[in-house]
Amino acid sequence: MYIYTCADDFESMMTCIYDVWADKRGSQNVRLELEPIGQQEMFSTYIQIQKDEEKAGKVTASIQKKISPEAYRQVFLAAMSDAKDRLDVIYRFLLLGFACGREVTKRLADGPVMRLFELSRRTGNDMHYYREFTRFVRIEPGIYVAHIEPSCNVAVLTAAHFADRMPSEYWMIVDDKRSLAVVHPKDEDYYVTPLSIKELQNLQTIEKQRDIYTDLWKEFFETIAIKERENPRCQRTHMPLHYRKHVTEFM
Amino acid sequence: MELIKGLSFQEKLHILADAAKYDVACTSSGVDRRGKEGYLGNSKACGICHSFAADGRCISLLKVLMTNHCVYDCKYCLNRVSNDTVRTAFTPQELCELTIEFYKRNYIEGLFLSSGIQKNPTYTMEKMCEALELLRTVYRFNGYIHVKAVPGAPDELITRAGYLADRMSINMELPTAESMKKLAPNKSFSTILKPMRKVTNTIASHRLAQGKSAYLERSTSNQYLSGSIFSEEQRRIAGSSRTEEAQSNLLTISQREHQKLLNRPFASAGQSTQMIIGATPETDYHLIKTTQSLYQQFDLKRVFFSAYVPLNEDRDLPSLDTKPPLLREHRLYQADWLLRYYGFQADELLSEDKPNFNEQLDPKCDWALRHLERFPIEVNTAPYEDILRIPGVGPKSAARIIQSRRFGSLDFDHLKKMGVVLKRAHYFITCSGRMMYHTPIEEKYITRQLTSVEYRENWELQHQQGYRQMSLFSDFGIQA
Ligand code: SF4
Repeated sequence: MYIYTCADDFESMMTCIYDVWADKRGSQNVRLELEPIGQQEMFSTYIQIQKDEEKAGKVTASIQKKISPEAYRQVFLAAMSDAKDRLDVIYRFLLLGFACGREVTKRLADGPVMRLFELSRRTGNDMHYYREFTRFVRIEPGIYVAHIEPSCNVAVLTAAHFADRMPSEYWMIVDDKRSLAVVHPKDEDYYVTPLSIKELQNLQTIEKQRDIYTDLWKEFFETIAIKERENPRCQRTHMPLHYRKHVTEFM
Repeated sequence: MELIKGLSFQEKLHILADAAKYDVACTSSGVDRRGKEGYLGNSKACGICHSFAADGRCISLLKVLMTNHCVYDCKYCLNRVSNDTVRTAFTPQELCELTIEFYKRNYIEGLFLSSGIQKNPTYTMEKMCEALELLRTVYRFNGYIHVKAVPGAPDELITRAGYLADRMSINMELPTAESMKKLAPNKSFSTILKPMRKVTNTIASHRLAQGKSAYLERSTSNQYLSGSIFSEEQRRIAGSSRTEEAQSNLLTISQREHQKLLNRPFASAGQSTQMIIGATPETDYHLIKTTQSLYQQFDLKRVFFSAYVPLNEDRDLPSLDTKPPLLREHRLYQADWLLRYYGFQADELLSEDKPNFNEQLDPKCDWALRHLERFPIEVNTAPYEDILRIPGVGPKSAARIIQSRRFGSLDFDHLKKMGVVLKRAHYFITCSGRMMYHTPIEEKYITRQLTSVEYRENWELQHQQGYRQMSLFSDFGIQA
């Protein structure tokens, strides 16, 4: 067994797929894993792949052209999911995809397709949850800062939504788990930046700030529930506890 | 009864949110609108919930009244003139600032503005329009707005509100003239239906002008269903043709006035209404027939049901210790879903002889059990509309089945992964000629089994732990 490994970012993953393809060792003889890898298997050969923009570009272009833009979207979402085996899943989906073309996204009963869609759905769901439950705190003179800790890597995906929603505000979404921030200056494109431990700690203190509107929101939130219909179980199903950590009305 | 000065802003918000919470509509759906530089907000057709209240209901909009002052005396309402409660009102500025700050923090998708009748309908609607215009123009708010049209307000004001908002609603509350006379003596059927008709026609005429169909978009499943309530044929039978009617009974606006309101389209997320369940003696059959004709003849986007919560003591109302009929409300929502997504007609679900839903079973299972001659359905060959009628199969899983079975035959494991709820479906289907277990297709047997599946859910509903409307998604195997 040949085990190809690479760093956990989209370009490295695409590069890795390129090299596996080029090496032609046969799909049953290879496995793709993301670093850091755990216990190494004794009788396997490990091949570490470094990110290469050109190779990655070729792969993403041919997914879109030879399979379909929809397939590319699904692959990207799956790559952002939190499943350990996601790179291997993507590889096996692409094997099938390059063989049968755009039809592949309709073959829902095929194992690799089913599994890939499972992963992309996970990211999709997280994306949706964070559109709903991301909460901004205002700091003067008018910067809005949010903290999230998503299971899937959705900070950037979510930011696209907020860029459309608040194009003319300064705002920032901080992924506490991955120590990165998406920063959006007023009327400009947003960008992603890694955060140092110190920066992250500074930003974390902001979250505790309260002002008149956080109080008003809590008031509204309490008031709008109808006592005669109280139902904490139902509330929990739709807003699972782990999503509430950074949500103003539950803090 | 006086407007109290000296209330804190927080107390004011409390009063005006508390008085608005019995309106059930809180969705922000129906229109896709991109954001634009210099403005705040966008809109997503699928709608976005932002939180879930202690009653499990979704919070999407800042739902408040402009004022809880009211000169009317609807018996069921907290704000009726004969109640001695503290009255207050937002100023347009207060409302705008609240909306904007809540929106920027991602607490809400927008504003749902309703109001008690302060002085008269005209004055009330004017105040609401003033607030909305300020919000759209000075505050440059581009998010979602749902506004209540006040029955009896002049056309110009309803027009203005429609151009400022995304959705309009006029609540019927009571589905018969008789009940209305008894419980809402200041309102009448015609003061509700007349503006509703005008709003419908105005939306249609705008859609035609934009080159769209006169009718609102519906779930795509309807395109593949010949018997759907939204099909041309069915609408003709119901006696409405938006295309012809769209040019009569319109709300009109001058070009200059329209420009002042930023040339926005008229209520592009459509119109909705709400009916109270359980305060009056109407049957489910009556309610669901009314619902269907509201969809067909007024092209309403949604009809909402609100389980009656007793707030006032009155000889014309159920007693104060009456529990809200949550299970009944739930069944009506399920039936509404069957009309809008599954190609069912009200007359297939209930009749004069069987005027109320079975509390033990959801309406789809109930229907299937009365039509066992149509089952089992072979999943690998049956047409789409038959697949949709299988209990435990929703439009999404039905579409997945149709799409994927072309590449090879499906088994129960595939179905499960596609989101089919097998614990309901397996009594009604075969995969390549085989049933999942050897179960008889026999009414009594399946009823017993399915009732026990539903028992727990029903128990919760009846015991006031409530539910929230979205749980429909899981019931029908639809993914939101
Ligand atoms: S008009 Fe009727 S329902 Fe509306 S606020 Fe007044 S009393 Fe209540």
